[in-house]
Amino acid sequence: MTDVLGDIAAAIGKLDSANNTKALLAIAIFQGVSATDIAERGIRRGLEIVGQKYEAGEYFLSELLYAGSLVSDLFEILKSVMKNQQLERKGVIVLGTVRGDIHDIGKNIFKLMAESAGFMVEDLGVDVDPERFVQESKRLRPDTLGLSCLLTTGLPEIEVVTEMLNQAKTRSDLKVLIGGNAVTKEFAQQVGADAAAFDAIQGVEFCRGAIRK
Amino acid sequence: MTPRESMKKAMDFQPVDAVPWAEEFGAVDTITKFLSEGLPAQEVVDVDWELEGYNLLNWPRFMGFDANSYFGCINLSGFMIPIDIGPIPRFRQRKTAEDSKYEEFIMQSGARARRFKKGARANVWYNMPQFYSFPVSDRTTWERYKERLNPEDPRRYPKDWDRDGYLEDIDQYQDGPVTLEIPGFYGFGAELMGIPNFNLAFYRDTDLVEDIVSHWEYLMIESTREAVETLKDRIDLVLWWEDMAERHGPNISPKLYKMFLLPHYKKVTEFFNKNKIHRIMMDSDGNTMPILDLVIEAGITGHLPLEVNAGMDVRTIRRQYGEKLFLTGNFDKREIAKGGEAMRREIDSKLPLMKQTGGYIAGLDHLVHVEFTLDKFKEYANYLKEKLIIQ
Repeated sequence: MTDVLGDIAAAIGKLDSANNTKALLAIAIFQGVSATDIAERGIRRGLEIVGQKYEAGEYFLSELLYAGSLVSDLFEILKSVMKNQQLERKGVIVLGTVRGDIHDIGKNIFKLMAESAGFMVEDLGVDVDPERFVQESKRLRPDTLGLSCLLTTGLPEIEVVTEMLNQAKTRSDLKVLIGGNAVTKEFAQQVGADAAAFDAIQGVEFCRGAIRK
Repeated sequence: MTPRESMKKAMDFQPVDAVPWAEEFGAVDTITKFLSEGLPAQEVVDVDWELEGYNLLNWPRFMGFDANSYFGCINLSGFMIPIDIGPIPRFRQRKTAEDSKYEEFIMQSGARARRFKKGARANVWYNMPQFYSFPVSDRTTWERYKERLNPEDPRRYPKDWDRDGYLEDIDQYQDGPVTLEIPGFYGFGAELMGIPNFNLAFYRDTDLVEDIVSHWEYLMIESTREAVETLKDRIDLVLWWEDMAERHGPNISPKLYKMFLLPHYKKVTEFFNKNKIHRIMMDSDGNTMPILDLVIEAGITGHLPLEVNAGMDVRTIRRQYGEKLFLTGNFDKREIAKGGEAMRREIDSKLPLMKQTGGYIAGLDHLVHVEFTLDKFKEYANYLKEKLIIQ
């Protein structure tokens, strides 16, 4: 048997055509490879290669989006043939753009990459009230709360959320990740967030480390 | 030396009395905030006569703000050549829905978006709308939209377009550069399709991208031809709006830039060069460093605003590219807005090298943003103006 999972990963990693990656997936399914192995050692491994190339400056946003779309297509096919098999969930992320800011491009790209990496993402949308972040954090007990903010005028809203989380005592086992053009690592420290991510790949990497054991 | 002469010389790396200073006061919220903090309205509100349509009386109208003259900086757009490069006819902008907080619109471009209602929060205009959908999603919608992008449409020029009149007006104008503003292909495509779909199309539908970029080239050259061939080097500067990068780097890779954009960019810049127009400045936020070699190869000769938060540094670019690029901006707006020592440190760390090497227009690394207080902006203006003078 050829290493079809390695082929899938390599095809995604080099941004092969949708038809070629789908053909490789069909071979893996035909060979009876388990859905979990296809997802982990094939598709998500491929996404990791893309992430590494992005961090290395070889790939950029267009490549990231294309890889994300390839992976989404493959998971759609995989789910349709899985029957009783379940894919392992990596963790839960609650995500939203802070109050007063209605930008969502960066947030949506992060969501695409996080879902492709196996996270369940609850997207609260844009212009989200701080109370809602707290309520959903209590209700869903996510591993990570992601706060997105493009504009510097939105930065105080991040602090409002972190303070409310502290007051609601929901902060101890929850990691807070902030992202968006306005955020800096210094600001994250200042407001008591756990990290600032400058791009979707950094954000997903942080979320992997934030999964509760 | 007039502001126009000063700008031209600076962009050409020639000696100037003082480094020119330009800011973008595009954020209306900032000006309205400054007004509430004591900016004298009578000195910045721009009023002009306008002919009423139903009788022959002129009537004074509020035209906007001229904050540049008040603070002593130069309007980068200066005298803009009045060519309409957008979709003709425009879509009728109209409200499609509203609630207590938001209004939804069809924009003139055909995109659908929502924005905060006035009064729903502060800084309504500083916040861009949230786009829901864009007018082009595939070949069919593009073919339909292309009908609005006919460069030969006579409505692209003002009804009273008169060569001799413009020649005279332009020769007299000295308050800033005479500019031709065009969208670069990335900016153009992203507005048509939205950033995610447009970026995906470079992989998913390359024929569509090739067709759009070919039409872009045709539109840019043919819609500007009359003005460019008439005015030639009276056009001091082509402002090439692109906005194609974020903090990590350009939105499309150098490979895609080379494959799809570069051949068409060369044709457009060659057309300008053939008509003695050599100053072409790319306006893009974000980290453009990975594509700067290609940008220069494309025939672009200047760059702004050099966003510090994205890692751009005017000193690094100058050391790396010398006189291949004239540069504008790069004062970190966050540091400058703090005023005092932080503001002085930011200016003093960059300006000396740029004064020494030339080819520089001083300014912030983006719009004058709403977190500036009027006092802090005045403090910055006063300090900078002293430092700009070349001994």
